[in-house]
Amino acid sequence: MRTRSWLVLALALAVALGAGPAHAQSVMVWGDNLPANVDPHALYDVPSSFIQLNVYDNLYRYEGNPPLLKPWLAESYTASKDGKTWEFKLRKGLTFASGDPLAAEDVVYSYKRVMSMNKAAAGPFKAAKIASVTAPDANTVRFALEAPYAPFLSIVPVLTVVNKKQIDPHVKGDDLGFGWLSSNSAGSGAYVVDPSGYIPQKQLDLKRNPQHFAGWGHNPKPIDVVKARDIAETATRVNALIKGEIDIGDSYLPTDQVARLQKEKGVVVQRNESMRIFVIRMNNSKPPFDNVNFRRCMSYAFNYGDFIGVILKNFAERNPAPMPKNLWGYPKDVKGYDFDLKKAQAECDKAKAAGAPINREIKLHYQAQLDQTRQAGQLFQSDLKKIGLNVSLVTDTWPNMTAATAKPETSPDMWIHWVSAYFIDPENWIGTMYDSQFHGTWKASSYYKNAKVDELLRAARAIPEQKERTRLYAEAAKQIVEDAADIWVYNTVELRGVSARVKGFKFSPVGSGNELRWMHLE
Amino acid sequence: MLRFLVRRVLLVLPVLFGLLVLTFILVRIVPNDPSAALAGQNATPQQITEIRAKYGFDRPLIIQFFVYLKQVAQGDFGTSIQSGRPVVTDIGQRLPATLELTFAALGLGVFLGVPLGTLAAVRHNRMLDHVVRFFTVGGIAIASFWLAIMLQLLFAMQLDVLPLRGRLSAIMDAPPTITGLYLFDSLVTGRFDIFWNALHHITLPAITLSFGSLATITRFTRSGVLETLQKEYVQYETAVGYPRWLLVSVYVLRNSVVATVTQIGLLFGALLAGSIVVEAIYDWPGIGSYAVLAIFTSDYKAILAMTLLVGVIYAAVNILVDVIHGVIDPRVAEQM
Repeated sequence: MRTRSWLVLALALAVALGAGPAHAQSVMVWGDNLPANVDPHALYDVPSSFIQLNVYDNLYRYEGNPPLLKPWLAESYTASKDGKTWEFKLRKGLTFASGDPLAAEDVVYSYKRVMSMNKAAAGPFKAAKIASVTAPDANTVRFALEAPYAPFLSIVPVLTVVNKKQIDPHVKGDDLGFGWLSSNSAGSGAYVVDPSGYIPQKQLDLKRNPQHFAGWGHNPKPIDVVKARDIAETATRVNALIKGEIDIGDSYLPTDQVARLQKEKGVVVQRNESMRIFVIRMNNSKPPFDNVNFRRCMSYAFNYGDFIGVILKNFAERNPAPMPKNLWGYPKDVKGYDFDLKKAQAECDKAKAAGAPINREIKLHYQAQLDQTRQAGQLFQSDLKKIGLNVSLVTDTWPNMTAATAKPETSPDMWIHWVSAYFIDPENWIGTMYDSQFHGTWKASSYYKNAKVDELLRAARAIPEQKERTRLYAEAAKQIVEDAADIWVYNTVELRGVSARVKGFKFSPVGSGNELRWMHLE
Repeated sequence: MLRFLVRRVLLVLPVLFGLLVLTFILVRIVPNDPSAALAGQNATPQQITEIRAKYGFDRPLIIQFFVYLKQVAQGDFGTSIQSGRPVVTDIGQRLPATLELTFAALGLGVFLGVPLGTLAAVRHNRMLDHVVRFFTVGGIAIASFWLAIMLQLLFAMQLDVLPLRGRLSAIMDAPPTITGLYLFDSLVTGRFDIFWNALHHITLPAITLSFGSLATITRFTRSGVLETLQKEYVQYETAVGYPRWLLVSVYVLRNSVVATVTQIGLLFGALLAGSIVVEAIYDWPGIGSYAVLAIFTSDYKAILAMTLLVGVIYAAVNILVDVIHGVIDPRVAEQM
């Protein structure tokens, strides 16, 4: 009797403490860089795509490589014949993770919030010159454009939808709820932010939203909790992956770590051709860069072969024109510039004869946190010295450089960066980098101006037929390369270390494979 | 004693004011435009101008400084441009991690350095003394980033006995917050599993951070004890047959550690600064990485608050050191 009592008590305790056969949560440790905050409208960079893809939804979404647009919150769209009105039909019964219904008014609110905040995500919509966004009914969103804009559909995924009802009580003054949404979530995505342990740019926990509209039928063992840990040091990140302390690394795995990771049984190196071009910008408005021969001299003086072959160990593909090689519209017959110091010298001599001040000190800014930009700068500096050009390297940061590029006089002589796949259309690269109407933005920071190119690019964004647009972009690209507006180096092969127990990783150039809902653990 | 404390606190205020002035000027004279950082990447020059006017960045620097000073006096340190949260919240969340690591490193330095220095002095010019001197020179010379990577490779990667990074295993939740110091909080709440996990995680970073201070404390203690051992009263007590261990541990040591205690105060500042490197390598979520991010992103409110905070901590520790001086040496207490 006494024994039975103890058994009953033990059983009751076990039930009370949840010691029964409960479903074990699957937990993944994500070791990629985190964005500065988690407001989806405050940032638009590679780290913020982790939030935008997982915590929020958009009307249409890119999937796969090459990336294709798929209906997402919207089930379909219609465009008027003149290309100025676009209507999106939302799926029925959509809800936010909070349980609130998601309606067309929330899309309108989200658009207005993006434009009012005027941060990076507003850029593509400003270029599209949208006259109004309205909700004729609860399931329809209408975008009215001032003029036809062919890349419009491709920029639609940039708009992530937030829950107005959830944000409104937290708005303070004119902050649009940023103070709250920067460390909380108000989305409908496959995961929600757990604000309790959130430390900006250090640690962030996401919990699965079982009610996500897309359902979980595609993934029978989805990850329940994702613990994102931003590990600043590359060596620590790589070692943590080998040791099994994290399940996935960042998409900027240095090429010198690839061979080391490939030897590890528990780690797989994901290698995917992306659409992220590496470019050395030249401020075309400043002498001697206003001289085309000088710019050609610089273009011949960069050692593309050694940089890609030796420093990057061929984990990149030479890309000599201002858009990714694997994108439609790329000019197939453009050869670009090769490394040839004799040709460089000849072009510099011509520039000097024309009075260009080629002997002045040239400042080349690189990004302090990104080693590869420094390596490119040092290689370039040493070769330019051989032809008598004096280049000094300046350590800088992304916020400083993008702020400096607002005016031609403050924009650096030269600076190095990547242009990532924010949306998939030549407009994302050549269109916004070399049309002079975008002067003052970081993308157009070379202050290149050519009336013929302006005309071609503006025509290309106004015509809906892709065949004709391809011809126009190719022609514009040839001219820009001829003018040596910048130095285009390579298209990125994204490298990411992933634990062998992570299955279902799917890469897309938009978001670098950051979408969690596909993944499970073995 | 109370008068002494009030006097010391009053003396610290102008130092902190000077620190704030210097940092404010340094942050604002570097060619970073906080208005541009606030405006974001798409802002037009017109919008940047509007933000400059809205936040008062177009006013004379001295006016801006006094506006900031007034805000600080009211406890308002501003909002981080990057995280969108009050910088006090950001720092408050990270400070316990740095303090825990610093205290652990200092604790290691004191509890190993004082006995080692004493032993080296007692065994002057013998094998133990030579070994200690060899390691203390190494401790001062070795760069912490190198030592950190070596310790990681040996103990975390090769021997697999300690974790590589972080304050806790990712799958383990933090203990209920009392102080934010995981070791303390987990002990107080009886979560020994968390305590054990946190202890494992802090071991390598604390050893790395303590290495330089351990060397300094050992050397200062050794010198102090050696000097005291030459004093007449020590020779007299030795001659009358006082037990050697009692003589050294009770009388000699107390009269030898005044300089060591001063060093500990100075070392605390060095440890706070040194934690930036150690935190980066061990992925320790403290204020070091926050400071680096603030500098890289021109988050000037965060930079100013961080500098002031470190200044306050440094000043507080040094006042504490002065008080400890008084406790150790009654002659100092009389002058207080």
